[in-house]
Amino acid sequence: MNRSLIIAAAELRLMLRSRLALVGVVTLLLLSAIAAVTSAVQMTEAARARAQAQTETDAQFEAQPDRHPHRMVHYGTYALRPVGPLAAFDPGVDSFTGTVVFLEGHRQNSATFGAARESSDLLRFGQLTPAFVLQTLAPLLLIFLGFATVARERERGSLRALAAHGASAGSIVGGKALALGLVALLALTPALVALGWAALRQPHEAAVALVIALAYAGYLAAWVLGIVALSAIARTSQGALIALIAAWALIVVLVPRAAAGWAGVADPLPSRVDTELAIAADLRRIGDSHNPNDPHFAAFKANLLKQYGVTRTEDLPFNYRGRLAQEGERITSQLFKDYAARADAIRARQSGWLAWAGVLSPALSVRNASMVGAATDLTTHTAFMNAAEAYRFDLVQRLNGLQATAVSGADDNARSKDPLADRRTRISADFWKTMPRFDFAAPSASARMAAMLPSLALLALWIVLALGGLALAARRMGRLGA
Amino acid sequence: MSSVIREIWLLGRNRAALAALVLLAVFAAAGVAIGLANVARDQAMIERMLAGQPAEEQAVASFVKDAGYGAYYGFQPVWDPPSDLAFAALGNRDIAPAILRVRSLSLEAQLYENESANPELSLAGRFDLVFITIYIAPLVLIALLHDLWSGEREAGRLFMLSALPRARRRLWSVRIAVRIAGVLAALLIPFAVGAVLAGTALPRALAFGGLIMLACLFWSVVILLVARRGASSVVNAATLASIWFALTLVVPAAANLVINAAVPVPDGAALARENREFVHGAWDRPREQTMDAFLALYPQHAAGSALPPTFHYKWYFAFQHLGDVHVAKQSQAYRDGIAGRAAYARAAGWVLPPAGIAQAMTALAGTDVTAQLAFQQRIRAYHTRLREYYYDYLFSERPFDVQILADVPRFDPADGSGTGAD
Repeated sequence: MNRSLIIAAAELRLMLRSRLALVGVVTLLLLSAIAAVTSAVQMTEAARARAQAQTETDAQFEAQPDRHPHRMVHYGTYALRPVGPLAAFDPGVDSFTGTVVFLEGHRQNSATFGAARESSDLLRFGQLTPAFVLQTLAPLLLIFLGFATVARERERGSLRALAAHGASAGSIVGGKALALGLVALLALTPALVALGWAALRQPHEAAVALVIALAYAGYLAAWVLGIVALSAIARTSQGALIALIAAWALIVVLVPRAAAGWAGVADPLPSRVDTELAIAADLRRIGDSHNPNDPHFAAFKANLLKQYGVTRTEDLPFNYRGRLAQEGERITSQLFKDYAARADAIRARQSGWLAWAGVLSPALSVRNASMVGAATDLTTHTAFMNAAEAYRFDLVQRLNGLQATAVSGADDNARSKDPLADRRTRISADFWKTMPRFDFAAPSASARMAAMLPSLALLALWIVLALGGLALAARRMGRLGA
Repeated sequence: MSSVIREIWLLGRNRAALAALVLLAVFAAAGVAIGLANVARDQAMIERMLAGQPAEEQAVASFVKDAGYGAYYGFQPVWDPPSDLAFAALGNRDIAPAILRVRSLSLEAQLYENESANPELSLAGRFDLVFITIYIAPLVLIALLHDLWSGEREAGRLFMLSALPRARRRLWSVRIAVRIAGVLAALLIPFAVGAVLAGTALPRALAFGGLIMLACLFWSVVILLVARRGASSVVNAATLASIWFALTLVVPAAANLVINAAVPVPDGAALARENREFVHGAWDRPREQTMDAFLALYPQHAAGSALPPTFHYKWYFAFQHLGDVHVAKQSQAYRDGIAGRAAYARAAGWVLPPAGIAQAMTALAGTDVTAQLAFQQRIRAYHTRLREYYYDYLFSERPFDVQILADVPRFDPADGSGTGAD
C-alpha cells in the first residue's frame, strides 16, 4: 500500500509537470464552473418565470367576471411544470418536454413551449450543464491524463526498474489508479459544489444529492479503473489511447443515441393525432352527447328521470344540462386516461430499453440515475402530466356541477334565444375563487432514490468489471515480469 | 495502379484499421436504416391521419346544422411530409411535430401543440447519417491517418520510404487516398442505398453526398496538417482527439449557450395566455366593438354583419380571429427570436465547419429550424384560407348545405414550399 502511495505521488508530480495535463484539468474545471453557474442562473430564472406564470394564471382565473360556468370550462387554466429541485445540476428532459399545459373542457392538450423548440439547432448534443460535463467531458480528460500511465513506463522500460525495486504489479496499477482517481475527484469538485449548494438551499434534497454525487463518483471511478487497466494491457501507449478513445466514443456518444434511435423505431408511439382520432371514434361508439338519439345518453336520461320519479328533465331538481356535461366529461376523460396510460406504458418501455442499454454504456446509467435523482426524468414528467389531467378533470367537473346546481335549467335552455335568460345564467364570480389551485410536487426524495437503484446497480456492475479488468492486468503484468 | 492495390492490401492487413472501417460502415448502415424507419413512421402517421379524416367529417356532417357549427367542429389536417433526404438528416423532426389538425378558431391556441414523443429519446440526439458523418467518421479518419508519418518513423522506416523515387506521389498520396476512400465508401454506400430506397432526386442526393465528402475532406486536411508536424503518434492522436472534441462537442455547446443568452425568445406561455384573455374577454365586451374591429380587417363583410340579439357564429369567429391579431406582434417576435437564434447558429457554422456542414445537411433535407418555421407559416396561410371560406358563408347568410363542409379548402403540403416563408 505504501508503495502504491509513492507511485501515486510520483505520477501526480509528473502530471503537475506536464503542461498538457494542467491545461486539460484547468479547462475542465473552467467549463464545469461555467456550466454550473449558467445552468443555475437559467434554471433559477425558469423556476421564477414558471412560478410567476402559475400565480398569474391562477389570479386571472379568479378574477374572471360573472359568467356561465360552461364559459369557464372553455376558458380553462394553465398548469406549469415546476422546475425540479436539482434541475440546475441536471436539467434532464426539461427542455424537450414542454412546460405549459392548457387545461380546458373536452380536450386533453399537450405540454407546449419546450426550450428545445426555441433553440438553434447547433448540433443538438447536450446543453453545457454540470451533469453533461461529468458524463461526457470528464471521462475524456481522464483518458488523456491516464492512457499512458502504465504503457509509458513499459515503453521506456522503467516498469522493469520499478519491479526490480520490489514494486508488485498490484501496487503499480493501484498507485496509478490512485493518482488518476485524485484527478477525477478534482474534476468532480465544481459539480459537487453545485450539488452541495442546491442541497444547502433545500435540506430535504441533501440525501438524494449525495446519492447523485456518489453515482458520478462511481461512474468516474469505473473510468479510472478501466483506463489504468487498458493502459496496463496495451502494448503501446498509442494503442491504449486509440482503444480508450474508441471506447469513450462508443460508450458516451454512440450507444446512447443508437439505443434511443432503436427504441423509438422498435416500440413506436402512436402520434397525437392517432390518439385524437381513436378517441373520437370510441366516443361515437360509446356515447355522443351531441346526438339526441344516442343510446348511452338516452339511457342516462331515462335513468335520471326514473331515479327522481319525474317524466321531463325540466322537472328534475337540478339543471339537467349540467349533469349531461358531467357525464360527457366523465366519458371523454376516461378515454383520455386510458389512451394516456397506453402511451405512458410505451414511453416507459422505451425508457426501459435505454436503462437496459446501461449494460453497454455506464454513461446511460449515470445519466438515468442523475435525471431520476434530480426529478427531471420522464417519470416525473409523466407524473406531472397525469396530475395536470386529474386537476383538469376535477376543475371541469366542479364547474359542470355549478352549472347543474347554480344555473336554472329553464334559463339554460332559453339562453341562446333569450338575452335576458342568458344574463341570468351568469353566476357570481365568487364561485371561481372556490376552485382549488393546481399544485404539483415532484416524487419524494426517497421515492427517487429507490428509483435510482437499478441504474446504481448497473454502475456498481461496471465498477466491479473495471476492478476485475485491473486485477487481470496486474496479474498479466506480474506473470510477464512487467 | 499497383501502388493502389498495395495500399489496399496493406490496409486490409491492418486489423485495427479494417475493424474501424467495418464498424463505421455498420454504424452508417444502422443510421440509414433508423432514418428510413423514422421517415416511414412519419409517412404512415400522415397517411393514418388522412385516412381517418373522412370518418371524422362524416360524423361532423351528421349532426351539424349550420356553417358556424361545422367550422367549430371541422378540424382539418395539416402536415409536413418528410423530404426525400429526411432519412439521412432527421434534424428537428423529433421535437417539432410534423402533423397537426387545425380548425377556424384562434390559431395561436392550436399552433404550438407538441407531438407525444418520449423526451428521453430526444435527449441524446438523433442517430442518423449526419451524426455518423459529423461525430463518428472524423474519429475513424483520425485513427487511420494520425500516424501516417510518425508511425513509419517510430517503426524506423520513414527515411527509407521517403527516399523511394517519387515517394510523395506513389506512396503517401496513394496511402492517404486509399484510407480516405475507405471512410467515404463506408459512408456513401449506405447513403446511396438509402437514397435509392427513399427515391431521392439525383441532384439532391449528389449535393448531400458532396457535403459528406466535404466533412471528410475538412477532417483529412486537419489531420494531415497535425500529422505532418512531426510529433509522435501518441501526441498526434491526443491533439486530434482534443480538436475533434472541441469542434464537435464543447464549442457548439458553448456557442449554443451564448446564442440562447444573446437572442431572447419571448415567453411563449405568456403569448398563449394573452391570446386566451383576449378571446374569452370578448364574451364580456360589447359585441359591436368586436364586429367593428373585425370589419376593419374584412370590410367586404360589412353588408352581412348585422347580428341577431342572441349568439351568432359570425361574432364568435370574429373574436377568435381578433385574438390572433391581438398577439400578432408577440407571435412575430417569438418567431423572430427563434429565427434569430438559427441565424446566429448559421454564422457560428462558418467558424465551426463540422457544425456548418451539419446545418447545411439538415437545411438541404428541410429538417432544420427554418423548415420548422416555414411549416408554421404554411399552416398560417392555410388557416387563413379555411377561416375566410367559412366567413363567406357566415356573412352571406346563404342557407346551410352539408356540401359546405365537404368543399372546405384542403391543405396542400407543396403550397409555398421552396419560398421558405419568412
